[in-house]
Amino acid sequence: MKRHHSFALAAFLAGAAILAVTIPARSGSRGATVRSAQARASLSASLPGKEIGSKDAPIVIEVFSDFECPACRSFYETTLRQVIDNYVSTGKVLLIHRDFPLQMHAYSREAARWADAAAEIGYFQTVESTLFGKQDVWGANGKIEDVLSGALSAADMKKLREAESKYSSQIEASIAHDLDLGNQKHILQTPTVFVTAKGKTEELPGGGVSYPLMKQYLDYLLRQ
Amino acid sequence: MTGTPAATSQASPRAGGLGRRLLLIGRIALGVTFVAAAYTKLHFNGEWHLGDYQFFFAMTIDSYKMLPIAAVEWLARILPWLELLLGGVLMAGAGLRWAASAASALLCVFIAAMLRAYLLHLEINCGCFGPNEKLGGLSLLRDSSLLALSLAVAAGAFLIRKREAKV
Repeated sequence: MKRHHSFALAAFLAGAAILAVTIPARSGSRGATVRSAQARASLSASLPGKEIGSKDAPIVIEVFSDFECPACRSFYETTLRQVIDNYVSTGKVLLIHRDFPLQMHAYSREAARWADAAAEIGYFQTVESTLFGKQDVWGANGKIEDVLSGALSAADMKKLREAESKYSSQIEASIAHDLDLGNQKHILQTPTVFVTAKGKTEELPGGGVSYPLMKQYLDYLLRQ
Repeated sequence: MTGTPAATSQASPRAGGLGRRLLLIGRIALGVTFVAAAYTKLHFNGEWHLGDYQFFFAMTIDSYKMLPIAAVEWLARILPWLELLLGGVLMAGAGLRWAASAASALLCVFIAAMLRAYLLHLEINCGCFGPNEKLGGLSLLRDSSLLALSLAVAAGAFLIRKREAKV
């Protein structure tokens, strides 16, 4: 009986040793926690209009999103809007949109172009809201410009078209930058959310988070 | 006629020994898997999350869209520790029949939830081994294999106990 238990103990220790050696390497390979003074600095380098909120906010939420992805729309409509209303507008959170158009979506890169053009002239939130709200329409026929024309005034639409043409290279550079960043972070799905507080960045479970749980986590971070 | 009982009495201890060895391997493998599952819920993104693991795990459980938030939070708090306890008990071999039965029941619940999400085409993370493992056919196959192993360990433990009781 004693021999039996010693064998079990030895197996337990061996198993624990194997876990200690193998699993940290596995879990550390994705979304490693960032602890550095540069953590916040590296979060910017985006079009300023794609950032919503105060630069001095204690929490930064970075969302890698695809305008044509249904889960991104759901996350935006059910969670992010409330985060904007309750945390961004009160200076607690800086929200950064990152473009991560997936190749499987025919029009998502074009949608990202329009959103980035809107960011250049300060209309990002309106265009983002319209793109997600009318995703079913332009996602089916690709007529993004028509959808945006329906949401913006003629004058604003003209400004948007001009911005899309004038800042074309900056827009492409911004999308490429966000895609590079996403690939560096080994993003596999959208939306993927990173939350930075006190110089420490955490990747949230992929696919979006409901508002009540996001609220709990943000309140916990604010209490720290 | 006289040869048969003798042959049986010679073969029986050998078969029992093999059964015990298989049971030992099975319960250690199952125990290590449960401990690993608990570990990846408490240690991820490169560090320990003993103070805030429940937020991340709750987000994963909630994505299954099966439970109210209060139940999600409660489950997120206790499940990693339950898995750790179950894994430890399985590896130690204490109360093996009940531990393996509990592991089988737990795996049945996990598989049912995963299967439901899979059939509903929910593009979510499994939450089985860390926060960023996508739910798919492979994760279902893996958990089904674990259930088969767990059932085999439970059955083996009950059989050995029954045999010992007869002796």
